[in-house]
This record gives sequence, C-alpha cells and structure tokens, in this order.
Amino acid sequence: MKKNPLLKIALTHLFSKKRQTIVAMLGVTFGIAIFIFQAGLMSGFQDFFIQETVNTTANIRIYNEAEKNRPSILDKINHQPNHWNAVQNQKPKDEQSKIKNGYQIISILEKDSRVAGVSPFLGSQAIFKVGIAQIAGRVSGVDIVKENILFDVSKNMKQGNITKLETIPNGIILGDGLADLLGAKINDNISVVSPLGVNLDMKIVGINHSGLTDVDKSRAYINIRNAQKLLQVDGSYITDINIKLKDFSQSEELAKFYNSKFGFRSIDWKEANASVFSVFKIQNMVTYLIIVSILVVSGFGIFNILMMIIYEKMPDIAILKAIGYKDRDIKIIFLTESLIIGTSGGLLGLVVGFFMQKIVGSIRMDIKGFVSMEYLHFNSTPGFYLFAFVFGIITTAVAGYIPARKAAKVDAIDIIRSK
Amino acid sequence: MTDQAIIKTQNLNKNFHDPVEFQALKNINIQINQGEFVSIVGSSGSGKSTLLYVLSTLDTDYTGHIYFDGDDLSLKTKNELAEIRNQKIGFIFQFHYLLPEFTVLENICLPASKLAKYSEEEIKDRAYKKLDLLGLRDQALKKANKLSGGQQQRVALARALINEPKIIFGDEPTGNLDSKNSQNVFDIFKELKEQFNQSIVVVTHDMSFANKTDRIITLKDGEVI
Repeated sequence: MKKNPLLKIALTHLFSKKRQTIVAMLGVTFGIAIFIFQAGLMSGFQDFFIQETVNTTANIRIYNEAEKNRPSILDKINHQPNHWNAVQNQKPKDEQSKIKNGYQIISILEKDSRVAGVSPFLGSQAIFKVGIAQIAGRVSGVDIVKENILFDVSKNMKQGNITKLETIPNGIILGDGLADLLGAKINDNISVVSPLGVNLDMKIVGINHSGLTDVDKSRAYINIRNAQKLLQVDGSYITDINIKLKDFSQSEELAKFYNSKFGFRSIDWKEANASVFSVFKIQNMVTYLIIVSILVVSGFGIFNILMMIIYEKMPDIAILKAIGYKDRDIKIIFLTESLIIGTSGGLLGLVVGFFMQKIVGSIRMDIKGFVSMEYLHFNSTPGFYLFAFVFGIITTAVAGYIPARKAAKVDAIDIIRSK
Repeated sequence: MTDQAIIKTQNLNKNFHDPVEFQALKNINIQINQGEFVSIVGSSGSGKSTLLYVLSTLDTDYTGHIYFDGDDLSLKTKNELAEIRNQKIGFIFQFHYLLPEFTVLENICLPASKLAKYSEEEIKDRAYKKLDLLGLRDQALKKANKLSGGQQQRVALARALINEPKIIFGDEPTGNLDSKNSQNVFDIFKELKEQFNQSIVVVTHDMSFANKTDRIITLKDGEVI
C-alpha cells in the first residue's frame, strides 16, 4: 500500500501542535455534544408533552361556539349604505351553549368506522368546599366508561376506582392537586357549588393524576347527570362531544368534515393546543440558534489553529511547491487537517452527547410545572446524531477551507526570497 | 536551438511593480546546455536570484520566452509547471528547507511520492542509493532537524536528485556553509556533472566557487555582461 505523503504531512502538522489541536477538537466535541443533548432534551420534552396532550385532549372536540359579535337587529333590517345604526349596550343573546340533539350525534358518530370512541361532556365552573376550605375549579360531567376509552382515566388513578363514579350516585374524582389544596382524602365528603348556586354534597371516590399540573389542580370528574343537576338543565343537555379516532393523524381532516356535517364547531387537538405549538416553535428556534452559534465558535477554533499552522509552516509550503506539489495538494493537506479535527472531535462529541443524555436522564428530577415528570425525557433518534455529525463536518470543512485556500495561494518565491 | 540546450531564453524581461516600477531583468538571452555546470554571479540586487527563479519556473511574472527542454514555459499552466518542477528540476536553497519533523529518508522521498512513478519500496531503494552517493546512509532515519547544516544541505541535494531531474538549480547552496562543507558540496556537483552529465545552475556570490565551474554568467543591473 502506498503511503500518502499528504496525509502524513497533515498529521505531522497536527502533532506538532498537540495542545492547540486538542483544544480545537474539544471545541467541536463540545458543540456536537451540546447539540445532541439539547436537541434530544427539547424534542424529548416536546414529544412527552404532545403525548400527554394527545392523551388528555380529544382528537376532535365538537362544541357550540357562542356568537359574540352579533349584528344588532337594526343592522339586519336597516342595512343601507351611507347610513349607520347605533345600538348601545347590546348584550349577548341568552343562548344556550348546548349541542342540540347531542346524543343523536353521538350515536351517529359511534357508527362511523373511523371513530374509536365518543364521549359526551358537560363542563362547568364550580367551587369545591370542605369545611371552610374553598377552591374554585371545574367539574367535568362525563360518562366515565366512555371517557375512559378516550383518555385512559383509569391509568391515571392514584387512588380509588373509576367505576365507582357509576355505582355511587354522588361520587366525584378529584385531581390530586385539587385534593391537596382542599386537604381532602378519598371517601371524604365535599360540597360542590355551581355558578347557579346549586349545592351538591358529594363523596370522593378517587384521586386522579393526569401529569398536567394545571389540570390536576382544578379538575374534578363527576357523573354527567350530576353535572346536569348542578346546571339545572335537562338530561339531554351536553356542551361538548369528544371524539377519539382510530388514526389520530386524520384529526384535522375529519374535524372539518364534522364541522360541516353537524353544523357545530369542531376542532382537532392541534388547533386546541395551538398556543403550545407556537411556543414549541419559538423554543426550537432558540435552541437551534444556540447550537449553531456553539458550532460556529468551534469553527473559529479550527480556523485559528489552521492559520497558526500555516504561518508557522510557510517554509514547508514553499518547498513543497518548489519540488512540484500543486496548489491543490496544499489545499488538500490543510482541508485534511480540519477534517481530522472535525471528525475526531465530532465522533467524540457523539459519544459524550450520548452519555450526557444517559446520565442526566437517569437523575430523578420530579419536575412539577407545566407538566410533571419524574425524569427528563430525551429523544435520542439516530437522526439527531447523524444531523449533528454532518453539521459538525460541514462547519469544520467551511472553517478549514478558508485557511486551506490561503495556504494554496502562498507564493513560494516570496517565502524563499524573504529568508 | 541546439539539441543540447536544456534552457534557452529569448528576450527575457522582468519588472517589479511594487513598491516602485523597477526592471529587474533586461533582455536576457542565454542558453544552458545539457551537462553544463554554470554559475550566475553579480552583486546583490543585480537580479541573479530573480533570474534563477524565473528560469526554474517558480516565478511566472515575466515577458519573453523561456524554452525548457524544448517547451515554451510561458504557455504552461500552473499545474503543468508544478509537474515540470517535480519531474525535471531539482532545487537546493541556501536554507535547506527540509521538513523538520520528517526523517531524512521521508524528506528525500517527498518529490518521488508526488511523482508516484515507482512503488514505495522502489522509492526507498532509490533514496538509499542517493544517500550512499552523499555518504549519509547512516542518517536515514534521523529527524531532519537533528542534522548539522552541512548534512542538511546534502540531504537537500539528495532530495533534488531523487526524481533524476534534467537540471539542478542552486540558490546560494553554499552560502550558509563553512569552506570545508562548501568544497564538499562543490565536489558532489562536479561528480554529478561528470558521472551523470547533470546540468547544474548555481547562483553564488562566492567567486572562488564560481571560478571552478564551467561557465560564469555575470549579471549587472539586470543585464548579462
């Protein structure tokens, strides 16, 4: 096998500047490791959050949207150009947010082959009282068996059993945060007061932990009949229909379809959580910006060391040119040097990034905030590793190309003459 | 042009533009034949080194024609000139310009590895032969920067010879050596010329060295006198 003198020259240069080479290499290592750690953390968190959201938000929700900016009756009957009507203090129409024929719609949906589950819902604000403790929250009036098909409520039960909501007439399941705030335990009695002033005495049959902190602090499940009692409405009154699809990627498309079919507003889970997704977008942008700037900085490290080597090795470059090495050969030498730094630093970065994820991922965090999780979730798909590595190599190649071109342009006579 | 001419110039002129316009070479018409040992002399600033760089293809900023081994150099690309330097020209400089981290053997092999005409084994074999010729065989595996000045200059000579060039250019090859070593280098040149019919062009300000060569080309203010 023929030894390539260019590679040997490149290696010799790097070895003659061991410390700087290692620093430049560690720059790349650091950049890539942070890339993998940070991208994995961000995307792992987002995946976790999306999963939680998908588990707690219906794929499609059908509800009756109250018309807010209703045109006045005057506008309707006397609509002429060059006229304007003034109606002051117009109040919203006393319109129920009920879904008309809700149960008929449910039975139609249940026959739809694309639907995995349908659950009626009646929600209301409520005040929970235990003795003198009073907490405002929301009650979700549900058919717990159907609700369980959609949201797997039983999986999140810390205490008690969901079926008791069916068997015990005045049963209630509290979110664990809410139970803590009230100082209430399972089998305690609490009072629930609706905005209309209806007071129901209920018995806690279960404690629920969904993982979304805000929800756990404010939500209680009750039987839909009790919700109807709280709101003093008839037994067909429901405000929402939640749908779980067999394939949740169809959500957007089917939401539009139901919207036109039933004439009630239907939104899919993405739309319902649009604000969260826009936060993710900004989060991703910031993350990638930071990662890119770290890699650019490590690129400068490589640029720096190559420039140093070039200035020091000017006589070498001159003699190589004099004995017949072409400009391209010189360029290859210095590009090789930057790629050696980039590749070795990059590979090390992949390993370091992997272990950083593993180590940090194994530390118990018990985070309670936006969501609650015991451990940080990392997304370690090979794609990130590949992307990080390729990006690192591109950065080093660009950082190495400029000095390499400069070296190739060195005029041999200038060097020889100036000695 | 006779068959023997290895280098012939025709109306060769060179100007420096920076810092001021200055004509370094004026209308040079010379011929160097195969197997000739020529020295170029002149006071400093006479243009002797400039002539050497132009003749040896390193400097391409000139007008007129240089015929090297029958080819007009002004028509060649940079890469073609690099190939010519690699195959047909050997260089020795005042400062020997060895790669300091490489061994003597590796330094000598550099031009041959680039030429890649022979296998690595054969190149080494040839390098050892050159080292024998220059009495350096026992130094082959030492780092170049561990050698004395005289030894380094002989290594540079071995490197110049490895591809069996048509001509060797020396820019003050003895300028940095004591009289004993400089005599040594001269003897090697003479032997190369006599044994291998090697053409040698040397720029020197050492008149005792120049006087021993076949022919002296004297430059004054950029003109041959």
